[in-house]
Amino acid sequence: MEKLLKVVIIDDNKDYLFSMETFLSRNGFIVQTASNGKDGLDLIKKEHPDVILLDVMMESVLAGFEVCKAVRSDSHLEYIAIVGISGMGEELGLKYEQYRDDEYFTPDEFVEKPVDKQRLLSVIEKAIKKAKAKKKPPAWRFVETAP
Amino acid sequence: MNRAFSGSLKGQSMSHSEILRREKSGELYKEIVNLLPIYLTIQDRDLNIIFANQTFYDEFGPRLGKKCHFVYKGSLNKCRACPVQKTFSDKKVHLSEETIRTHGGKTAQMIVYSAPILDQAGNVVSVMEMATNITRVKVMQKELTELGQSIALMSHGVKNILEGLQGGSYVVDEGLHDGDLTLIQRGWGIVKNNITDISRIVQNILYSSKKRTILLERVAPGDIIKDSINLFRGKARSERIELSCEINPALPEVNMDPFAIRKMMNNLISNAIEACAKDKSKSSHRIVVRADDYNELQFKYEVEDNGIGMDERTRLQIFTEFFSTKGTEGTGLGLAVVDKIVKEHKGKIEVDSTPLIGTLFRILFLKM
Repeated sequence: MEKLLKVVIIDDNKDYLFSMETFLSRNGFIVQTASNGKDGLDLIKKEHPDVILLDVMMESVLAGFEVCKAVRSDSHLEYIAIVGISGMGEELGLKYEQYRDDEYFTPDEFVEKPVDKQRLLSVIEKAIKKAKAKKKPPAWRFVETAP
Repeated sequence: MNRAFSGSLKGQSMSHSEILRREKSGELYKEIVNLLPIYLTIQDRDLNIIFANQTFYDEFGPRLGKKCHFVYKGSLNKCRACPVQKTFSDKKVHLSEETIRTHGGKTAQMIVYSAPILDQAGNVVSVMEMATNITRVKVMQKELTELGQSIALMSHGVKNILEGLQGGSYVVDEGLHDGDLTLIQRGWGIVKNNITDISRIVQNILYSSKKRTILLERVAPGDIIKDSINLFRGKARSERIELSCEINPALPEVNMDPFAIRKMMNNLISNAIEACAKDKSKSSHRIVVRADDYNELQFKYEVEDNGIGMDERTRLQIFTEFFSTKGTEGTGLGLAVVDKIVKEHKGKIEVDSTPLIGTLFRILFLKM
């Protein structure tokens, strides 16, 4: 039997956490959630999930960027797949783009809210594959889009 | 700038032949130069002003022989991107934007053009500088940029609500599929919270975007805020915040616009919930809404929370339109609308807030 994948979702919106938890648990994941970066990081250290869904712009004790950095700089956690999620989008003239520079934010994949749930499943799959295949994922950064 | 062309030409309505006569004698050009609503100067290589038009004199007085940067900016140093010097060196027209100080001490944004004046051998002997005041254009430009950013932030807030509506309806669907009433209730709660949020945002946009005449009615101050409290009970419960009210039933009836007062209260309670939800330093949160006597002439509404609180700097800006501490979550309209409603009712707002302790909004209205 195929092993169930573990996912940790970190987001400061409790309603979002609940609906995402419902969706992923009904799609074969073992789901755990945290509503701030600090609790999220503790959960990651304890559970060693296969993938982390991380709200990038949450206002919390530890922001998404910092959680990502903490995971990548911990030798026990650095190869866990991370999917960055944010509502910051092109309406603010911004978008995420892959960038080959380790100083930046380094999730394996990135999606924008509102999240298309079916697409999310394939993004998670892609992120896990990337994390397994690569030692260092490419960095992402905000770039300004054309007006 | 208000001077009419004909008025300055000595108030005469000139015939065509008169214009031609003046043109021939050179008088016409002199008068046009003086009339131009720009500061027109001619400068030598050392940036000394050797000629200026009447508009310049009217603003700065007789400053011939003074250096351009000294007259316009009070500075002994040349401007970094001096277009006049560039024209001296390449004989071309140059342009720069400068901030100057007018005679009255106000600052003004100018667009400055420089053009060469050549001798017969084609050498630059002096440079003509034309400075046009574009302060109003700059202010409008800034306002439009801010408006664009605010709309973008608002649309982002709406996007988060869409995410909530989609998530909530997904949970309801799953509950219906499984016949799980608890799941349906939870999903429906999420949908309702997001409907409340989107209604509040849309109403605030509408309220702040048009002039609305308040419609006064004789109402009991305690009664009209009960709807607001009930509206937020669900949301407060989902955030594990205790929302309670203390209403003095003996308050006399007063003249108020009940729609506006409910709107004011909705914004204050919604803000208090967000302030509590953001605060991770306490294990429990509470919001108390009060309607009570203040003194013989006034009664008070209060919304008190033990949320994240505000520092002094934030407190001073909260009633400004589009100011938000909620990053991309807020529209920055909520408290601006509260301020507008209180002013419309000739009331007064007091804010007492301490970071990590909480906030108290007190609104005082006359008992009349």
